[in-house]
Amino acid sequence: MSERQLRGIGVSPGIAVGPAVVVRWALPEVPHRVVPRSHVEKEVRRLRAAVKDVRRHLTELREQAVDRAGVDEARIFDAQILMLEDREFIGGVAGLIRKNHFTAEKAFEFKTLEVRDLWTDAGSPLLKERLADVTGVAIRVIQHLMHRGAQDLWEGISQPSIVVARELSPGLTVQLDPAHVIGLISEEGTRTSHAAILAHSIGIPAIFGLRGAVERIRPGTMVILDGNRGTVLLDPTPDEVAEAERSETRRSELSARLEEAVAQPSVTLDGARFTLRGNVDLPDEIAAAQLHGAEGVGLLRTEFLLTGHSTLPTENEQTAYFRRVADAFPGHPVVVRSYDLGGDKFPAPFRVPAEANPALGWRAIRVCLDEPEIFRTQIRAVLRAAARAPIQLMIPLVTRLDEVERARALVAEEAAGLQRAGIEAATSLPVGVMVETPAAAVMADRLAEISDFMSVGTNDLTQYTLVVDRGNARLADRFTPHDPSVLRLLKLVAEAARAAGKPASVCGEMASEPLSAFLLLGLGYETLSVAPPALPLIKWLLRQVTTAQARAAADAALAARSAALALDILRFALAEAVDLTLLDPDARLPAGRRSGSLKA
Amino acid sequence: MAVIEREAKIVNPLGMHVRPGAEFVKVANRFKSAVEVRKDDVSVNGKSILGMMTLAAECGSSIMIKTEGDDAEEAMNALLALVADGFHEMHLKHKDEGAT
Repeated sequence: MSERQLRGIGVSPGIAVGPAVVVRWALPEVPHRVVPRSHVEKEVRRLRAAVKDVRRHLTELREQAVDRAGVDEARIFDAQILMLEDREFIGGVAGLIRKNHFTAEKAFEFKTLEVRDLWTDAGSPLLKERLADVTGVAIRVIQHLMHRGAQDLWEGISQPSIVVARELSPGLTVQLDPAHVIGLISEEGTRTSHAAILAHSIGIPAIFGLRGAVERIRPGTMVILDGNRGTVLLDPTPDEVAEAERSETRRSELSARLEEAVAQPSVTLDGARFTLRGNVDLPDEIAAAQLHGAEGVGLLRTEFLLTGHSTLPTENEQTAYFRRVADAFPGHPVVVRSYDLGGDKFPAPFRVPAEANPALGWRAIRVCLDEPEIFRTQIRAVLRAAARAPIQLMIPLVTRLDEVERARALVAEEAAGLQRAGIEAATSLPVGVMVETPAAAVMADRLAEISDFMSVGTNDLTQYTLVVDRGNARLADRFTPHDPSVLRLLKLVAEAARAAGKPASVCGEMASEPLSAFLLLGLGYETLSVAPPALPLIKWLLRQVTTAQARAAADAALAARSAALALDILRFALAEAVDLTLLDPDARLPAGRRSGSLKA
Repeated sequence: MAVIEREAKIVNPLGMHVRPGAEFVKVANRFKSAVEVRKDDVSVNGKSILGMMTLAAECGSSIMIKTEGDDAEEAMNALLALVADGFHEMHLKHKDEGAT
């Protein structure tokens, strides 16, 4: 059994079943010839012409990549195109022709091998991975000089097949025909290889880094390639093929259901309305949130306005950004979180001395209140954008009542100032608390009295409650928002908000995950703000449950003695309502990045 | 002929890899000045993609940029702006990077 199963790195999800075709994409054998002195300049011209042709061809591939994979992915080709414009490199090749009277192809091969040796000696795994790009260019140029086409590589494949290669270049990957190539296996490469990124974007299941694949998989062998698990099964039995096909059917069925969910209303099985908003960290997530049906933005981060810039963003720049986001979700709220600066998240204009313990240090609302000018500028921008859209302001890392009171006073002062100046702006603004410290959760009843809404940030709340840094790998299994202590705090906040008649939501990462979304609904959170790619999954899921089921499950989870038991209870309860077998047991988000490309 | 040397901090989450290297080379080649980039004890030609590909600089680390020539100052300003802007890819994150 074990010798039939090979394991590599799953770099693009999905399952493919078909015969293996071994493709040799390697530097061709270049005959060693020299040219007479009189032909040297002609040889250099031949080199320049070939470089120009291949460069044009790569530019076409880049266009193809924009269509098939996306703009960011297409930039992968820039490096290859620039290599052909690299004066040091091409000049070096020309130099070899002139000095040693090599043919153009020999000189190109020589120079390429020189780079290969240099990079291999450097021992950096990253460089080794980038060699595929260099080799890809070299193969194209040398084949062109030797009058061989590169394109016919795919043409010999007549039936849907799984391609096995030592190494795949991005150019080769973007050219492949999905009707004939249904899966990719490569000996070299990792998840971050350019060819892997392209395979993922195009949607072809792929496994990279499978040592000895070319030798162990003979051409024509039937294989099952499981891109989710990174496994290849050779000569499968009919039963194994049937099981693989079933699991692929489940995967495509789930993505079809999720696609349907986007257009469906957000109501539970018993008709209770819930609201799903998107978390927007960076501007390009606006489109993803829209695409996946977000009803507004429950957490609009503002730090990107600062990081990487040498000046603070102006009031106008911020106003324009907030308006742009609000325009994308007409009629729905956009919750702007005030600057959450601190630790390493300080912009260039600040030079803050390093703190021994930044998580417990000068950050978020503490910085904003100590640097009121920065805060006031942001408040004015929010007020101005809120003149024509339901924009709200959320205060992060609150631990004391006076932080909310002081922030509200600043909002009132700036609103009055704008009015006096005759500038179009909202006269008031809903101001809410981001509950992410145990202090805020415990004081939720008091905070609810002095704020307009509360939204729980579960990562920080978990970190501060359990005293676990979530970046600490050794403590990874202790970082769980399902710990009974965190669940009690979540319950406390929901109840305090309800008693005060104020809306409560969750905008932390927890809400993006199926079991937790079910739990949060049961705890009384009817509004969740999630990572945009998770929106369809959470909607699909909550549409299949009743509030009574969710409440019963949440009560049982609250009574559990540990996070593991709470999760077992939730899993058991949710399985009564939802076909959990559709969800990939290995993945936290079953659709992962795939649901990010539902549009495809 | 002016010679300028400045330190630049890498701010985009994925760090300096091939695509940012390519952006850097494109900008560098718009100017006449020679461009040299240094990271730790490795120094490369900032106009050569193969040179830049050998430099790997993770988010948070610093590189030294040296420009030399008549338009050294313009070249330096353009390159510093590119690095500070995260090579136009602040929106690309590590897959495991989460929310809140």
